[in-house]
Amino acid sequence: MTRRRPLLATDRAALMLQLVPYLIGKGEVSIAEAADEFDVTADQMRAMVEKLTVIGLPGDGGYWQMSNDLFDIDWDLLDQRDIIVITNSVGLERSPKLTAREAAALLAGLQLARTIPGVGDTDLFAGLLAKLARGASSTPAEVIVAPGPVDTVRDAVADALRKSVAVSFTYKAPDAAPTTRTVDPVKVLIANGQWYLQGWCHLREAMRTFHLDRVSDLVLTGIPISHAGESAPGWFESGDSDMITRIRFPEALAPLLGDYLDRASLETEAGVTTATMRVADEFSLRRLAARRGGEVEIVEPAGARQAAADWAAAGLAQYR
Amino acid sequence: MSANAPVKNPPEERLVNLVVALMATEQGLTKDTILTSVSGYREQSDAGASKDALEKMFERDKESLRGLGVPIETIGDWADPDDLREARYRVPTAEYALPADIEFTPAEVALLNLAGGVWSESSMSDDARSGLRKIRALGIPVDEPIIGYSPRISLRDPAFAGLQQAIEQSRVVTFPYLKPGEDAPRIRRIQPLTLVDYESRWHVFGIDLAAAADRTFLLSRIVGAVEITRDSFDPALREGAGDRAMAGLDDVAARHSALLEVNPGTEAALRLGRRGVPAEQGIRVSYVDVHVFADELASYGPEVRVVDPPELTAEVIARLEATLARHGGVS
Repeated sequence: MTRRRPLLATDRAALMLQLVPYLIGKGEVSIAEAADEFDVTADQMRAMVEKLTVIGLPGDGGYWQMSNDLFDIDWDLLDQRDIIVITNSVGLERSPKLTAREAAALLAGLQLARTIPGVGDTDLFAGLLAKLARGASSTPAEVIVAPGPVDTVRDAVADALRKSVAVSFTYKAPDAAPTTRTVDPVKVLIANGQWYLQGWCHLREAMRTFHLDRVSDLVLTGIPISHAGESAPGWFESGDSDMITRIRFPEALAPLLGDYLDRASLETEAGVTTATMRVADEFSLRRLAARRGGEVEIVEPAGARQAAADWAAAGLAQYR
Repeated sequence: MSANAPVKNPPEERLVNLVVALMATEQGLTKDTILTSVSGYREQSDAGASKDALEKMFERDKESLRGLGVPIETIGDWADPDDLREARYRVPTAEYALPADIEFTPAEVALLNLAGGVWSESSMSDDARSGLRKIRALGIPVDEPIIGYSPRISLRDPAFAGLQQAIEQSRVVTFPYLKPGEDAPRIRRIQPLTLVDYESRWHVFGIDLAAAADRTFLLSRIVGAVEITRDSFDPALREGAGDRAMAGLDDVAARHSALLEVNPGTEAALRLGRRGVPAEQGIRVSYVDVHVFADELASYGPEVRVVDPPELTAEVIARLEATLARHGGVS
């Protein structure tokens, strides 16, 4: 998940202001670990550390700086063992306050985190909110994440995760018959207010992702989980999607299609975007087409196009 | 190491040197002292850069650093506060650093790590990670990470960043807003007060200056750039705005409900059933925005029929007709 965007001079200055307290706190840290913490490459981290050694207090005479007026590092350790140790510091030892934006990003994240059953109690959240407010350099813009409902299924899944036991439930995927599944829960993904359970499916003998809204009659089994260590698939990768489709829509609509387009290749001409992607079957996109009321057109294959027309016609027939 | 740095220093070095210099002084440094002694300016002074150019650079640097949250204090002339020629500049350590008495427990840091990870690929993600780094640098031991959960907030609305900045600065914004059913966007002028993620859609709540009243706007309907104007407003207006915004949205949801017939055992039955209450003829589900709800209901095709209200029925039918027409069908 690390982004390696080009950094502006101001970004680099911000990183250096954070780097000093981090290095002092660590005492001794490898280039690799520090690079990881700061989301930069090892080379960028080395360059930042080297740059630190020309940072210092203004010279007394208004001209030359003495060496103890500058930051210094253990060059031997850096050159020979890729280890960073600050040997002289001239300020910046404490972490800077959070910017309004940094505080806002954490505060909003906390609001989502607190909807998770059993994660932190009310006092813990209240204490954190107060500390973040006090630790910010100016008042953050208020960003509210309204909590969605937590139902019994979510509570039960949380319980199963805590107890490391398999769950058994009825799963009704769209356009498919209900099935009974036994699953070793590995992770709950929460996105766009929707909850998904990711786990080892005993029926399919593979990692699968289940939308919790489509789960019913969930019970905890007494079976300890046996597949927690399996590597989880990425977000919503469907393992068996062989059909290639093409859809067309106004370019401006792209942000609203978000998740659908994450795995698509896009081409835009004269304000019209064409997306090519793999889907599970010809029924997969008819719901999307109907949702966008004609703005999204399924171009091919013909079967998927027909499925969308049939879907809309069947919906309309109810009102005739 | 030679202390004689090359003449052309990267700007980030100059910025950090400036912070170090301004934090090390109690009484403050004058601009002249800064330009001739702080590394980064000093070399350019020596190389004959014009005073004017250096002063401009200093002004820009001050703004950049303030943008990073570095509190640069200006101490003016006692006798004439408007005369900045002899002004002194400093960064008070107490204002700059995280207060020494703020301590985070290991459980709190574990929770913050989870909270900081919710932003997928947006500038908020960078902000959260940067904030976490500052807190982690306090050297707090961390509890076991909270495993088993991966919460995410998506932020795909381009209007978000501009609105957030305007709220921070308490400034009036304008933006083109396209209401469904209208042919062209209209420019709205608001005092933005808070951003709300409600039912997984981002809204901005504020005071619409044309209507002189509280209004809530969907970010997805902002169809152009958010302009931050020079007009500022009293930051006190922001206090309590979040509660007002939430109460307003809850109130709208309480006033709008649809009567739906849902085919049992379908996707629609599962998804709507959780939000609805049983009624005589089907289920009742409350909603905030008729267009957003009609989008969802249309996606269910034949799995759901809207009984009431007529406005919602019409919207769903319009979507299904347009979908049918677009895919070559005849209704």
